[in-house]
Formats: sequence, C-alpha cells, structure tokens
Amino acid sequence: MTAPALEVRGLSVPFGDAPGLRDIGFTLDPGERLVLLGASGAGKTTLLRAIAGLAPLAAGRLTVGGQDVTARPAESRDAVYLHQTPLLFPHLSIFENVAFPLRIRGYQDSEIRASVAELLESVRLDGLAGRRPHTLSGGQKHRAALARAMAARPAVLLLDEPLAALDPSLRDEVRATLLSLQAHYRPALVIVTHDLEDAAVLGDRIGILLGGTLAQLDQPDRLFQRPASLAVARFLGLPNLVAGSVAAGQFQSALGLIPVEAESPSGPATAAFGTDALRPEPCGSLQGIVRSVQYGPRGATLRVDVAGIELEVVTGAGAIPHPGDELSLGLERDRVTILPGIGDV
Amino acid sequence: MTRSSRRGLLAALAVALPVLVGVGYSVLASVGLTGPGAAGGGSARLVAVLGEPVVWAGLAWSLWVAAASTALAAAGAVAVAALFRRGAGIDRMARLFAVLPLPIPHLAAAVAGLLLLGQSGLLARLLASLGLLADPGGMPALVYDRAGLGLILTLAWKEFAFLALVAFSVVATRGERLEEVARTLGAKPAAVFRRVTWPLLWRGILPAVVAAFVFVASTYEATAVLAPSDPLALPLLTLERYTDADLSRRGDAFALALLGMTVSLLAVAAHEWARSHWDRFEP
Amino acid sequence: MTEGSRSRPAVLAALALSALAPLALLLLASVGRDWFFPAPWPPAMTLESWGDAFRGGGRMAAALGTSLVLAVGTGLAGAAVGWPIGRALADLSGWARHLGASAAFLPVAAPPVALATGLHLSALTAGVAGTTGGVFLSHLVPATGYAALYFLGVFTLFDRRVEDEARTLGAGPRTVLWRVTMPMMRRQLGEAFLLGFLVSWAQVATTLVIGGGRVRTLPLEVFAYLQAGQDRYAATGALLLVIPALLMLGAVRFAVARAEATPL
Repeated sequence: MTAPALEVRGLSVPFGDAPGLRDIGFTLDPGERLVLLGASGAGKTTLLRAIAGLAPLAAGRLTVGGQDVTARPAESRDAVYLHQTPLLFPHLSIFENVAFPLRIRGYQDSEIRASVAELLESVRLDGLAGRRPHTLSGGQKHRAALARAMAARPAVLLLDEPLAALDPSLRDEVRATLLSLQAHYRPALVIVTHDLEDAAVLGDRIGILLGGTLAQLDQPDRLFQRPASLAVARFLGLPNLVAGSVAAGQFQSALGLIPVEAESPSGPATAAFGTDALRPEPCGSLQGIVRSVQYGPRGATLRVDVAGIELEVVTGAGAIPHPGDELSLGLERDRVTILPGIGDV
Repeated sequence: MTRSSRRGLLAALAVALPVLVGVGYSVLASVGLTGPGAAGGGSARLVAVLGEPVVWAGLAWSLWVAAASTALAAAGAVAVAALFRRGAGIDRMARLFAVLPLPIPHLAAAVAGLLLLGQSGLLARLLASLGLLADPGGMPALVYDRAGLGLILTLAWKEFAFLALVAFSVVATRGERLEEVARTLGAKPAAVFRRVTWPLLWRGILPAVVAAFVFVASTYEATAVLAPSDPLALPLLTLERYTDADLSRRGDAFALALLGMTVSLLAVAAHEWARSHWDRFEP
Repeated sequence: MTEGSRSRPAVLAALALSALAPLALLLLASVGRDWFFPAPWPPAMTLESWGDAFRGGGRMAAALGTSLVLAVGTGLAGAAVGWPIGRALADLSGWARHLGASAAFLPVAAPPVALATGLHLSALTAGVAGTTGGVFLSHLVPATGYAALYFLGVFTLFDRRVEDEARTLGAGPRTVLWRVTMPMMRRQLGEAFLLGFLVSWAQVATTLVIGGGRVRTLPLEVFAYLQAGQDRYAATGALLLVIPALLMLGAVRFAVARAEATPL
C-alpha cells in the first residue's frame, strides 16, 4: 500500500489572537480530491496556507507522501499553493513561468523545453509560450498558473477558491482543465470553496469547516443526506428543518412519528431533509395546502403548509398545483436525518 | 511582539540612528558637556545663543523664504496639473517641461538664478537694452536682498517641479470619474473644480508641500549663493559659527543645529499627521 | 474651464521657457568671454573652462570624477540598504508604522548643516573625517532615508502572494529574492539608485563639514569659482552638475524601459 499523499493530524492554526482552527485532521490518498467548504472567515485560506508552510502552526503534524514536513519550509513540502487569482510572474514569459519550477530544480534546458511544451499543450496555451502574462485573458492566466503548478509535479495541490473569481463561462473551462490535468498528473487536491455546487462537482470527499473545526468529512451523497449536526444541515442549506423531540426511540413532531436509532438521546431534536425526501402522492401521509409556486429550469418549487409548518417540495413532470390547492405528500423516512437540538426555522 | 514588527522597529532604528547620534551629540555639545569650547555642564550656552536676536532673525528669515517659495510652487503646481491633466500631446509636453528641473541640483539652479537676476545679470541687461536701465545700480535688488526675492524665485522654480510631479500623479490616480459624477449630479465646470477637483488635489499634495517646506527651510547651497548677510539665514549662521576660529563660538553651532532640527521635527510630525489624516480620503 | 483651455498654449510656452531658459543662460555664460554689463550677448566665445573640465589634471575634471564616484557609490549602497529597511518598515502597522515612517523621514528632513555638524565628531572618531570614505558615509545617511521611504511605499503596495506562490513551487527564500522579487522590481531598484545618485550629486553641507575642504566635489568647486568671481567657470560647473543628472535620469528610464517589457 502506498503512503497517503497528505496526512493532517491535530492541526491547530491561530488567526491573530483568535483561537482559529482547532484539531483539524484528515488523510488524502494520491489522486484524491478533497473539497473544504466553509463560510467566508471560517479559516479555509489559513488552513491551506498552513499546509503549504506559509502560515505558522500552533500544533499538529503534516506528512506529504509519508514524509513528515511539519518543520520544513514552504519550498520543500512538495505541496503547491494556488491563489484564487492567478499570480503569474509579470517579468517572465508564459514559457518561463511554467519553466520556473523546473529551472530552480536544475533541469537541463532540453528537458525543460520538452516538459513545458507538453504542459502548455495540455492547457491549450502552446501558441502563447512567448507572451507576457498581462497580455493573456483571465481564463488563459488561470490555465497557465495550473500548468506552472503541475510543472513542480507536486504530491498535493492546494487550491484557494479556484473558480470564485471567474464568470460562469470561464468556470467550466477552468474546471475542465483542472480535472484533466489532475487525471493526468495525479496530484491529490485540496480545494477550498464556499460554493456548494463546485464542492459537489469537484470533491471525492467534502469537509465542512464550522467554528474552527472540521464538523464533517464525507462523500458528497452521504454529506447531503446525512448531515452530522444541525449546524452542518443549516450550512448545507437543507430546506426542510422541522423541530420536535425524541422520546422512547421515536421522533415526534407535527409530521407525526419517525423511528430513530436506539442510541439517540431523548430531548429536543430536529428532522432535517432535502426536497428529494418529499414527493406529491395521491395518498401520502402528510396533507397540506400549497402556499406558493416558483417555476425553475428543473420543475417547480412549492412551499406547502403542513400543520403549520412550511415545507419545500420540488415537483417535476405532471400537473403543477396552484397556490391554495390541497396537496398530499409522501415522506421517505430513511432520507430524514434526526439531529439533536432545535434551530429557529 | 511578532517577529516582523520587531524587525520593522529595528529597521526604523537603523535608518534614524545616524540622525539620533548627531542630535545626541548636538544636545551634549549645546549644554557644554562635550565638543569645541566645552566648559562643563549647564544651560548657559543654550540660553545665551537663544537670547541672540540674530538667531531669531535668521530663523524667521529662513521660514519666510520657505513659506513664500513653497506657496508659489504649490499654487503653480495645482494650476498646471488641473490645466494639463489629459492625454493629448500638449499635456504630455507640458508635464515634461514642468518636471524637467527635478534632477537639477539646487546649486546649479542658484548659479542660474544669480546670472539671471543679479544686478548685472541677464534681466538687467535686457532692461538696459530696452533703455529702461542706465547702470547696474538702477536694477532693483533681487539677490542678496533683505526680502530674498531672488532666492524665493529660484527655490520656487525647483520646488515647482517636485510639487507638479506629485500633483500630476494625484490627478492621474483620481481619474476624472469623480468629476463626471459631480457633473451628472448637476455641477457646472466651475463648481466641479471648486468642490471636487481642488479639495482632492490639495489634500493629495499636502504631504509633499510639507516635505518641500522642510527641505527649503534648511537648504544650504542656494541660500549661500543668493541670500543677504543681514539677516543671516539660520543654515548659514550655523555653519558660520561652526567654522569660527573662536572655539566657544564654534560650540554655539550645536545649539543652532538643534534649533534647526526642532523646526524640521515639528514639520516631520505635521507631515506624518497630514499623510495619515488624508490617507483616509484615498479611494 | 473654457478660458483655461484657451490659455493652455501660452502656459505651455511659459513652462518651456522656464525649464530651458536657465539652462541656455548657463550655457551662454560658460562660453562667453568679456561679457560685461550691459551687453545682452557675449562679445566673444571661449571654450577655456570646458577644456579645464575635460583635461586630465584639470581642477574641474578631478572634482567631476570625485563627484561621480561618490554619487554612483551612494546610489548603489542607498538602494541596497534602503530595500531591506523599507521592506521591514512596510510590515509594521498601527502606531509602529507611523513611528517607522517618521524614522525614515528623519534623515531626509534633517537640516543638512545640522546633520553634518552632528556627525562630524563620529567621523573624526572613526578616522574618516576629511576622507572620501567619510564623505560617502555622510551622503549615505540621507540617501538611505530617501530609499527607505521609497521602498516603504513600494512594499506597501507589493503583492507578497507572488512570493508565497514561488515558495510553494519550490523556490527557497534566496531564489525568490533573486529570481522573482528583484526582477519584478527592476524599475523600482533603478529609481532608488537614481534617488541616491541625485542626493549625493547635489550634497554640499555634509561634503563641506565632513570632508573638511579636503574632498573636492564639483559643487564645492562651483562655490569656489563663485566666490572668486569666475562666473564662466561657475556656469560651466553648474552645467556639469545639470547634464549628468539629466543623463542619469534618461539612462535609468531607458534601461528600465528596455529591460521591462511589462508594466507592473
């Protein structure tokens, strides 16, 4: 078995005088893609900078490819950090920018030429090798920065909001380039973002940074279906959070009784579920009145009042009801997560 | 304290150290503890020097020259910057000519000032050739004169280049967007200048104006070429005492140096205040 | 400002006259022989003073050489010392930043005469008073202040993340300095050199006091000619102060424009 590409253990990073990030830990296999999600100010950038060796640690251990790099300077960690906006060296041509990691590693000119040519071709910049960075378009700059990062053949590539500053048409282009380069050179990726959609597309696994700790780390499907806490459910924007309480192995609320796992503690609790857990059914268990209808590209989003609780439902094909109509809904209970605590919904 | 702030303060100390050493020595020497003509500790020398009318006359004269030349230069710089702010050829030529004297040493400017404005200078010759002047004595004194007009004009010429450079860059970085906003809000061109262009411009060049004033108030070379011997400007008086054959008079120079240094320090404080205060107006 | 627009050609002409007339006058005075009042034009011309400036062993030629050596040395050393100081000052914040900026402004704002007299004893103690080395050090004091202030501004705006990214690409601190930061700052380094050059080039009071009259720079010779009433030589010396300053400005601009295809 090969060593993990990146192992982060017990990492604590101060932000100025604030406690900052505490006890962050995860392991990444070679070629794996991890997306870290968090609100702005959650310390995502700080975490990446700490892994890269650009921000000091208060505690913790980092290994890259099985080697302990905790005490190593940024240049010898085998982890390349890419900023949100591509920071190409303005005094060097595109060719020399991509050649930079190879030159400082002392490669021969012939090797450098071959390597850079291949990299530039793989990001479709082969015609622009002699150009200066400021003459490139935004998307071209991003692709050049990606090629330069790959030239260092890093075990880990750390990307700080790589798509956030791009307009929608460029996002797809840069995302595709990133994924194809990654498929070819196989670095492990750590991507931080605040965009749920990017996270779902890019991540083999997704980590949620909340309140300075890693609140949950899971595969995307599990994460969205089984948030680990009410805070995570809220962060993910699960539309339906229904307050109730747990007693004797059952969750009780206006939606009726839902069985819960035996070890769940009694007390106030919240049922969290996405729109996919609810569907209009002729003889569903829940009866409500449609309050509003909003049309979208993939059907209509209904807000339905069920016993005083407003639920969000998405309907696809078929007749779309109108506000004021009565609607019968079925609830898939195994898609509902019961979380301790009550939020203000 | 973080490592970077420790390093920063160390750098601050390093750059200021020679001046601090000089000031420290001047303090010791002006209270008679060291240096030429030292006669034991005491404030007698300081009191005596500061009691001399020539000292205050010299300081006042230096401040007058600095204030007058800086005001002239600043007014010219603002006017030229407002007039030639666009990208046309005439604007670029005007900016080049305005800034050209910048690298010219003050001494060279002073020599030109002397040859132009002196009693038998080019100006006097031109007036004579027009029949307006019979002999050099009839030329109004512009150099070595008590008002310091020749010196003021020469220094203003040099400072104008510096202040114009700053004013051009202020105008360039502000762009015309604020003026456009003011126009769409209904301001006429004169109102735009009075209410937007001018207030932003003078705030932008204020730190440079203070810096120019400080520099001119203590400049030696142009003063030595063009200033009168009565009143004797403070920098000239300081160096005269320092080279005096009488050792006790030589020691007086340190008290005068301290006086000059105090004026500069007050101006530095004003400069830093102006910079930090108006920085808040940066877009 | 319509009347302002109409006056633009006249103001341009006045600016051109103001910039060029003093230089033309110096040129005329440097070659005019027996040019007495009220002659508006020199009756005869001579290149005698210019010969002295360029003849080996000439008094003005020697002073020109000393001044050039001092100014180039001060420009180089000022930029080299001012860079790390300015960068360290740019890291400060809050009250410490005001303190740092004021500290760098101190040698710039200190009256040259006061600075010279204050430093004279240190120079005597160190045994460098009256030597070119001592004069060089005294020029370096204000030059370092100018360069530090300049780099304080430069590094305040500098995006350090470029350096961070170079580090994670595998470049050590020294490689980053030589291959990234310094090449990116060619223009700024050139301008800092120019500042130091001009500061030293125009220096009079410190040269006079620290050099004790034994280090003869060009400005000191110009003073001597003025005091002796040798206007022709004084004008020549003044032009010799002007021309290299303008040339140096042009040369730095040109070298930078050539080396730097990118506006930063």
